[in-house]
Amino acid sequence: MIHVEGVTVVYPDGTRALSGVELQVDRGEFVFIVGASGSGKSTLLQLIYRELVPTEGRVIIAGQDVASLPRGRVPMLRRNVGVVFQDFRLLPDKNVWENVAFALDVVGASRREKFRKVPLALELVGLSEKEASLPSELSGGEQQRVSIARALVNNPAILLADEPTGNLDPDISWEIVQLLTNIADRGTTVLCATHDRVIVDGMRKRVVSLVGGTVVRDARGGGGYDEP
Amino acid sequence: MNLSMVEFLLQQAWQSIRRNGLMSLATSSNMTVALIILSSFFLVTVNLEHMADVEAHKASIRVELEDDADRAQVESRLFGDRRVASIEFKSKEEAFEDRVRRWADVLEEGDPETLAVLLGGNPLPDAIIVKPENPQDMPAIAKAAENIDGVAKVSYSQQVTDKLLTLARGIKVSGLVAAVLMGMATLLIVSTTIRLTIYARRREIRIMQLVGATNWFIRLPFILEGAFHGVMGGALATVLVLASYTYAHAYVQQHLEFLALIYDPTFTVLLGLGTLLCGVLFGVAGSWIGLRSYLRHV
Repeated sequence: MIHVEGVTVVYPDGTRALSGVELQVDRGEFVFIVGASGSGKSTLLQLIYRELVPTEGRVIIAGQDVASLPRGRVPMLRRNVGVVFQDFRLLPDKNVWENVAFALDVVGASRREKFRKVPLALELVGLSEKEASLPSELSGGEQQRVSIARALVNNPAILLADEPTGNLDPDISWEIVQLLTNIADRGTTVLCATHDRVIVDGMRKRVVSLVGGTVVRDARGGGGYDEP
Repeated sequence: MNLSMVEFLLQQAWQSIRRNGLMSLATSSNMTVALIILSSFFLVTVNLEHMADVEAHKASIRVELEDDADRAQVESRLFGDRRVASIEFKSKEEAFEDRVRRWADVLEEGDPETLAVLLGGNPLPDAIIVKPENPQDMPAIAKAAENIDGVAKVSYSQQVTDKLLTLARGIKVSGLVAAVLMGMATLLIVSTTIRLTIYARRREIRIMQLVGATNWFIRLPFILEGAFHGVMGGALATVLVLASYTYAHAYVQQHLEFLALIYDPTFTVLLGLGTLLCGVLFGVAGSWIGLRSYLRHV
């Protein structure tokens, strides 16, 4: 599904964010990308939703080299790659239903499609009861669930989560990651960048460790934050 | 593009306009002022050109004949010129009567016979009044007429036409300069408003980009917002300009009837539509400038 081949990213100021990264992720796989701040986790995810293009190497998604995509095709890629952030990025003046429907509005979905897909996405994240609430009326965990529902409502093949539990309590964090693994079980490829040791150790999923922009470990069979 | 997409775009544009209420008002007002200046200069210029045209068509060449001239021959030579529209003979007697009638107020002796005696005869010559097809040909026709046997003197007056045309040209140039300056100021203001809107909605735009909205879909609400300011400014400017022009036309007809202003329904409708269209173009161009210079940084 995702092939990262010899990727190096050097920012315009000369900072080397990634160096010769190799990574293969299969359809429906759940992968933790772990490492300290500045290790290149977010950069790796940005390459996949084509916020960045590699300085060297290739990123291939479903057989397509994303760097060679014309600008006009990037939105089509993004409809197939959902992204979730630490700060949720919800629209404060729209309620839960509208925030999720927003992702359908901007791709020109019909009213009928919205009324079919939004309830399904909200049910998946367990927020059907709160569809009329504003983000300010929700807890952090609930807000992150809304943001996951929004990322999933277009049925993307890939879901990227960049520190999804960074702003959440440990219990809530556990629930969110559990939700992400459930999503992977349904066939969506999930990459979750985190530095939450407890969660990674508890899940025993595949772990890719980055240090200074280099992959130092790929525990394919499942592992903890530090050990295979 | 389906119906819900159009609804969403219009909703987005309207939200922006409402959220930036004061700025929107300022932008539309500025557009109104710019368009009033533009259409006023346009009105003055086309009317001056129209007056010059009317004057030019009134103008004629006066060909004075020698006492022993063969009138028929001069007339046929003049009429043979393709540039001549019509000729009219005016005998010395008619000319004298005209002159006397015109001077009747100042002259104590209004009777032509008495005056002729006083002047020692009628001093005026026979003349042929020539109307050209095209006023621009007057100098050439006059020159040709001078060479005809029996012609004593040729005269024509093009001064009024020339002056009006020079004035129209001057106003057209200064109007163009003013229009360009006002146009630039309007574009600057519209693009600044759009930039502020983009800034206010940067979070939303970022999310739109992330969930796969096309660039056109992100841009359209801002373009619509610019067009809205154009329509509002254009509509207000049209109403104000047409009302003032109607008033000016009525005044001129009553008090300065020698001035010929253009005024018919087609002209006023075209003027209104033109002003609206200019407004929309300004609005869309302003948005486009704002988007180009800002959206890529969001």
